[in-house]
Amino acid sequence: MKASNWAYGLAVGAALLGGATAASAQSMARVSINADIRSTYPGVNRDSNTDGVIHHIVEGLVAFKEDSSVAPMLAEKIETSADGLTYTFTLREGLKFHNGAPVTADDVLFSWSKYMNPETKWRCHSDFSKGNSEVVSLDKVDDRTVAFKLKQPSALFLGLLARIDCGSAGILHKDSFAADGSFVKPIGTGPYMLADWKKGEYVELAKFDGYASRTEKRDGYAGARKASIDTVRFVIIPDRSAAKAALYSGSIEVLSDLDVNDLKETKARKGIKVDIAETMGLSGILMQTKDPLLSNVKMRLAIAHAVDTAAIVDAVTLGTAKPNNSPIPSVSAYYGKPQGEMIKYDPALARKLAAEAGYKGEPIKMITNKRYQPSFDSAVFIQAMAKEAGINIELEVIEWATQLDMYTKGDYQMMSFLYSARLDPSLSFDMFAGPKATQPRKVWDNPAAQTLIEQSMTISDTEKRKEIFNKLESMFRQDMPMLVLYNGADIAAYSDKLEGYNAWMAGQPRLWGVTLKQ
Amino acid sequence: MGRYLLGRLLTTIPTLLLVSFSVFVLIRLVPGDPIVLMLGDAADAETVRGIREAYGLEEPIYVQFGLWLLKAISGDLGHSISNGAAVAPLILDRFQVSASIVLIAVLVAASISVPLGMIAAWRQNSLTDILVVGGATLLLSLPSFWLGLLLLLLFGLKLGWVPVVGYVSFAENWQGALTYILLPTVTLILIEIGVVTRMARASTVEVLRLEYITHARAKGVSEASVLMRHALPNAFAPTWTLLGLVLGNLLGGIAVVETVFTLPGLGRLLVDAIFARDYPIIQGCMLFTAFLYVIVNLLVDLCYPLFDPRVMAE
Repeated sequence: MKASNWAYGLAVGAALLGGATAASAQSMARVSINADIRSTYPGVNRDSNTDGVIHHIVEGLVAFKEDSSVAPMLAEKIETSADGLTYTFTLREGLKFHNGAPVTADDVLFSWSKYMNPETKWRCHSDFSKGNSEVVSLDKVDDRTVAFKLKQPSALFLGLLARIDCGSAGILHKDSFAADGSFVKPIGTGPYMLADWKKGEYVELAKFDGYASRTEKRDGYAGARKASIDTVRFVIIPDRSAAKAALYSGSIEVLSDLDVNDLKETKARKGIKVDIAETMGLSGILMQTKDPLLSNVKMRLAIAHAVDTAAIVDAVTLGTAKPNNSPIPSVSAYYGKPQGEMIKYDPALARKLAAEAGYKGEPIKMITNKRYQPSFDSAVFIQAMAKEAGINIELEVIEWATQLDMYTKGDYQMMSFLYSARLDPSLSFDMFAGPKATQPRKVWDNPAAQTLIEQSMTISDTEKRKEIFNKLESMFRQDMPMLVLYNGADIAAYSDKLEGYNAWMAGQPRLWGVTLKQ
Repeated sequence: MGRYLLGRLLTTIPTLLLVSFSVFVLIRLVPGDPIVLMLGDAADAETVRGIREAYGLEEPIYVQFGLWLLKAISGDLGHSISNGAAVAPLILDRFQVSASIVLIAVLVAASISVPLGMIAAWRQNSLTDILVVGGATLLLSLPSFWLGLLLLLLFGLKLGWVPVVGYVSFAENWQGALTYILLPTVTLILIEIGVVTRMARASTVEVLRLEYITHARAKGVSEASVLMRHALPNAFAPTWTLLGLVLGNLLGGIAVVETVFTLPGLGRLLVDAIFARDYPIIQGCMLFTAFLYVIVNLLVDLCYPLFDPRVMAE
C-alpha cells in the first residue's frame, strides 16, 4: 500500500512536471511585456506595450522604416498633387482582412470616419482635424483608390499617418465594431490575428494564413511582414528579475526591453542572444524658464556647462547609447554637424555664468523618479557635477504619475524627464516648444522658434528643412530650456532558437520575419 | 444567534460606506491623473479635459461619488479607465487567484505553526524552544519578494522543477494550476509560519502558567492530555484571532508575491490600478477588501464558541 502511494505520488509529480515542460515546449513564441495592454483599438487608449501588440494585428496605408522614413504599407503607390494638397493612395491587390473579406477603398473611408469621430478619442485626431495636416476630405476615387485633401501643404502628413502611437491609422473591417458602433475587436490586415486577451495574464495572437505580404525586405514596420510562427503570446511579467529568470529558463523567448544593468550577465548566458538598437526617445533635464532663478538664461547655461554629458551617458547606459545634446535624435537623417556638437563641460565657466546670473547657492529642486532608473541615475550624476561647479541641486524623488502631472502643469524647477520617440524633427521640436500660457507643459516658449517649427511642417524640401532645423538648433542652445543627454537604446534579449529577431529604433518587438527552431 | 448575525451584518454597512467615501476622496487628492497617464508626454490640456469629461471626472466629487454609489448598490462597480473591463467581474476573477493561494497557505501555515508554537511553549527555554523561536523570527524577518525570488531562481531556474512565469486556473487544468501556485504558496507559508508560531507559542506559555493547568498536572493527567484537552482550547483563541487578521490581510494584498510570480491576483490588480490612477478599480478593490475583512472577522467571531463555550453564554 505504502509503495503504491509512493508510485502514485511520483506519477502525479511527473505529470505535473510534464505539464510544465509541455507548456513551455509549445510551438509558440512568448514575448514578455511589463504591463497589460490598455485596449485593442489602434491609437485609442494605448501605451507602448499596446502599440507593440497592435502593430502585429493592424496595418495602415503607410508605415515607418528603420531609418524613420515613411514607406507604403497597404498602399501600392502614393501620388501627391503638384500643389501638395492631395495625396492619392492606391491599395495593393489581393489584400484581405482577417475574416477573409477583401480590403477596399470603402474600408479606408469607414476606418477614417471612425478615427476622426471625436468620440473615438483617437490620439492623432487633433493632428488631422486642425493644424498643419488638417484633412479637409477623404474621397473614394475607385474601389482601390482614395484621395486625402489637405487644407495646406504638409511635410508631416505621411509621417503622422504612420505614427506608431496612433496605430498607423490601421485599416479595420467594419465587423470590428458592434451594431451600435462600439469597438469590439480589431479585424485588421496584419500578419497576426487577435486570438485571446486574458487580462492581467497574456495577449495571444495567431498567424494569419491569408496575409498578403509586401515583397521588399522587412524594414521597421514596413516591408515584408510574413509570419512563420503559429502563435505569439505576449506574457505580462511586471517584475524585471522574474522576466530575466523566465528568459533564462526558456519560459519566454523574447525580453524586448532588457535592463542595461543585466546586459553583461545576459550576453554571457548560453542560448541567449542580445541585440541593441539606438532609439529616437529623448532623455534630458528640463529647466523651468518661468522660475525666478532659472528664467535667467545664464543660470540655465551654467547648469548645462556644469554637466559632462558624455561621462553621464556612458555611466548610465553602460555605453549602449550615444551622448547627444540635440533635440534631433542622432539616428535621424537631419542629424548633422550642428546637432552633433557637444556642450562644453566647463565647471569654471559654469561658476562664472552662475555668478553673473546672481546665483548665491540657493537650492534648486530637481524632480526625478525611480520607475525609469536611467533617468534617476542621470539626476544623481548631474546633482554631483553641479555641486562641483557650486550649483546646489536638491533631488526630489517622486512616483511617475505624480511627476507626469507636475510636468503637464509645468509645476517644477528642474526635472529629469523622458520623451517618447518622435520620428520627425519638426515633431521633436514641437513636443516641447510652444506657448506656456496655454500649454503649461511646454518647455521652450520662444515665438520665433515656434514660427520656424510651423514652417518646417509645411516644407517638403529636405535641404530647406535642414536649414530650418540648424537654425532652431542654434536658437535652442542659446535659450537652453532643456539639457538633452541621449536618445536611449532598445536592448532586446532573445532565445537563440529565434532566427531573424532584432531590436530597432522604435523599441517594439516584431515577430514577423522570424522563425522558431523547435 | 440570528439577531446577532443580522446586527453584525448591518454594522458593516456604515463601515463600507465610510471606506468607500474615504478612498473616493483620498485617491483623487493624490497627485496624478489617469488621463494624463493615458496620453503621456503628448497630453495637451484641451484633450485631457475632453477625455476627463467623457469619463465624468470633471463633475464635482460629491456628484461622482453619488453616481458611483447608486451604481455600486446595484452591483455595478463601473469600468476600468485603463482597459475598459467591468470592475466587479474583474475583481471576482482576480480574487479567485489570490484566494486559492492564500487559503491553502494559511491552512498549511496554521497546521504547522500551532503545534510548533505549542511544543516550543511546552519545552520553554529548551533547545527546541530556542530553535523554534529562532526559526520563526528568521522567517518573520525575510522580505516576501526576496524569498520569492530566491525560490524562483532555485526551483524554477536552477532545478527547472516548476514553471517560472504564468498561471492557469484550477478550472482549466488543476495539475497545471498546482505547478504555478506551488512556489507562491510556499513563500506565503514560510512567511506566515513565523507570525503564527510566535503567537501560538506566546498564548500557550500564558495558558500553561495558569492554576488549572497546574491542577490538572497535580491530578496526574498526562502531558499530552494537558496540552490537547486543557491548554489548546484556551491558547488557540488569540491565534485564531490572528489567523482571521492574517487571512483578511492576505486576501486583499499579496501584491508583492503576485508580482514576483506574475500571478493575476487581486493585490497586483490594486497596485497596478494605483500606479495608473484607475479610480474605478481602486474603488472596487478597496470596497471588496474591506468587505472581506469584515466577513472574515465575523466568521472568526462566530467560531469562538467552538473553542470557548463561555463566549456563547455571553
